[in-house]
Amino acid sequence: MRSLVGASIVLALAATIGSPASAADLDAGRRKSEPCAACHGGDGNSTIPGTPSLAGQPVYFTHWQLIKYRDGRRKDPLMSPFAQSLSDTDMADLAAFYEAQRPRQRPAKIDGAKVAAGRELAALHHCTSCHKPGLVGQQQVPRLAGQDFDYLLKLLRGFKAKTASDLDGTMTMAAQPLQEQDVLNLVHFMASLDGE
Amino acid sequence: MSRIIPASLTAALVIGLALAPLAPAQQAKEPPPPWKQGQPASMADSMLAPIPQPPAPAAPGELQVDKIKLPPGFKVSVWASGIANARAMTWGDKGTLFVSSRVAGQVYAVVDKGGQREVKVIAKGLNLPNGVAFKDGTLYIAEISRITKMPGIESKLDNPPAMEVVYDILPRDLPHGWKYLAFGPDGKLYFNIGAPCNICIPPDTHANISRINPDGTGFEYFAHGVRNSVGFDWHPVTKELYFATHARDWLGEDVPSDRFDIAAKKGLHFGFPYCHQGDIPDPEFGKGRSCSEFAAPLIKTGPHVAGNGVEFYTGSMFPAEYKNRAFLAQRGSWNRTQKIGFRVMMVTLRTGDVPKYEPFAEGWLQGDKIWGRPVYTKQMKDGSLLIADDYAGAIYRVTYSR
Repeated sequence: MRSLVGASIVLALAATIGSPASAADLDAGRRKSEPCAACHGGDGNSTIPGTPSLAGQPVYFTHWQLIKYRDGRRKDPLMSPFAQSLSDTDMADLAAFYEAQRPRQRPAKIDGAKVAAGRELAALHHCTSCHKPGLVGQQQVPRLAGQDFDYLLKLLRGFKAKTASDLDGTMTMAAQPLQEQDVLNLVHFMASLDGE
Repeated sequence: MSRIIPASLTAALVIGLALAPLAPAQQAKEPPPPWKQGQPASMADSMLAPIPQPPAPAAPGELQVDKIKLPPGFKVSVWASGIANARAMTWGDKGTLFVSSRVAGQVYAVVDKGGQREVKVIAKGLNLPNGVAFKDGTLYIAEISRITKMPGIESKLDNPPAMEVVYDILPRDLPHGWKYLAFGPDGKLYFNIGAPCNICIPPDTHANISRINPDGTGFEYFAHGVRNSVGFDWHPVTKELYFATHARDWLGEDVPSDRFDIAAKKGLHFGFPYCHQGDIPDPEFGKGRSCSEFAAPLIKTGPHVAGNGVEFYTGSMFPAEYKNRAFLAQRGSWNRTQKIGFRVMMVTLRTGDVPKYEPFAEGWLQGDKIWGRPVYTKQMKDGSLLIADDYAGAIYRVTYSR
């Protein structure tokens, strides 16, 4: 993204802003996603460790994250400036495009014993109450199944440290009882799910 | 769920439940997310969950304002739209409407420019800033754990001043931590500190309505045993505090009822967590306590209706009988299979008789589908009534002519 999000692309994107709010537009979303492709993949399946895949993420989730990058509640050196140029319509279109893409499990070195321990932890900590069985996500709650290992690890450690951006505090609270080993086990489990 | 709970754990859970049928399903486990806390084992398969807030406001064309039903002679129109998550409203001295939000994290200023409403974001990235109150040229904003102010804001809407801290040592709990904020007739700032749970024995510092002086001094609790009140107002004549309270979830389709109460003096206890709706002891925490210990509700406003805004009408546009009536905005249920609420009710207080409680504005709920959620009202100078809809991000205006 660093190389692609030049001033010209941001300007081009800005030019599409200003159309009246309407139902989300998949084709527009595909067009508007071009600057995102370098990091998140053309179809929303990233291949860069530490960068999340967006394919199959619920519309509300992606849209809310973009809003939080825009208003400063979530911070990232690449995403924060990028989100400044997005209108609500751009966000809705992008979110609709990514939800419609088929998610692929990210490659990771999965440890079977840790997966088993993580599966028990996921039950103990009620992960499926919000993330749904199979951790496929819903509404404003992200899909975790098969997500990038490093990204999941960074986020879950961030929630434990109370530094990760949270829409309503649910994840920060949920992460407080976790020890570092629990975090690792949960991430192994989440990364091991293919979500099919 | 069966996919990720190993058989051994499921078996252990079932045995545990059989031995303690009244205990919550998750007792032996880590706490569930706040909205699910207190769910009994018998409801473990329930699909009910809070209604998610759309990330963006509805487009003007999506506002089905023609579906809103009002008493004869009343009309409703869209007054402003595109205000993400619009919640509580307060008027500035110079006619600016300040509007709060919750998950959108923003505070707005709405200015009327020749019949068109201009919306400005004056603060963003805040922590559930549900409370806004205005006095002597200064806007006060309540977030989770702090109250701040913006002096002279109305002449600086395009270049808002820094937020100055008034009081920042409130509890940091997020569940029921967002606040309604209003000035009482005594000049003090009133706000709620909700229970940090669906149902629990709250810390002494929670489940109340509190007040401070506008300079941040003199903190005191005013009402106790209040699970979460995010709407209150003072009677225009008697100056007594009336408030709405959300009741606990997961006790059933039709119980307990939300409440509308009067706190005529400081120090009353309204029953949480021991007694709900004045006559239902909590199945877990009510043991050894009696509902007669606590102030009974003035009105049982209905199960899961989610009573938010409370406002007494003092204008002269509406018919004379509307004077001193209370409007109750009910944001609507999630913890009920048959949706209820999504309306503005009205209360007529009657000396020596029970209050009259009847619908004023309905229609945000169509069948089982909602297109908006009325959350607060605010009277305009001319006596018309604004209704904020946080779901659709809009403000409607109700007028009357005979």
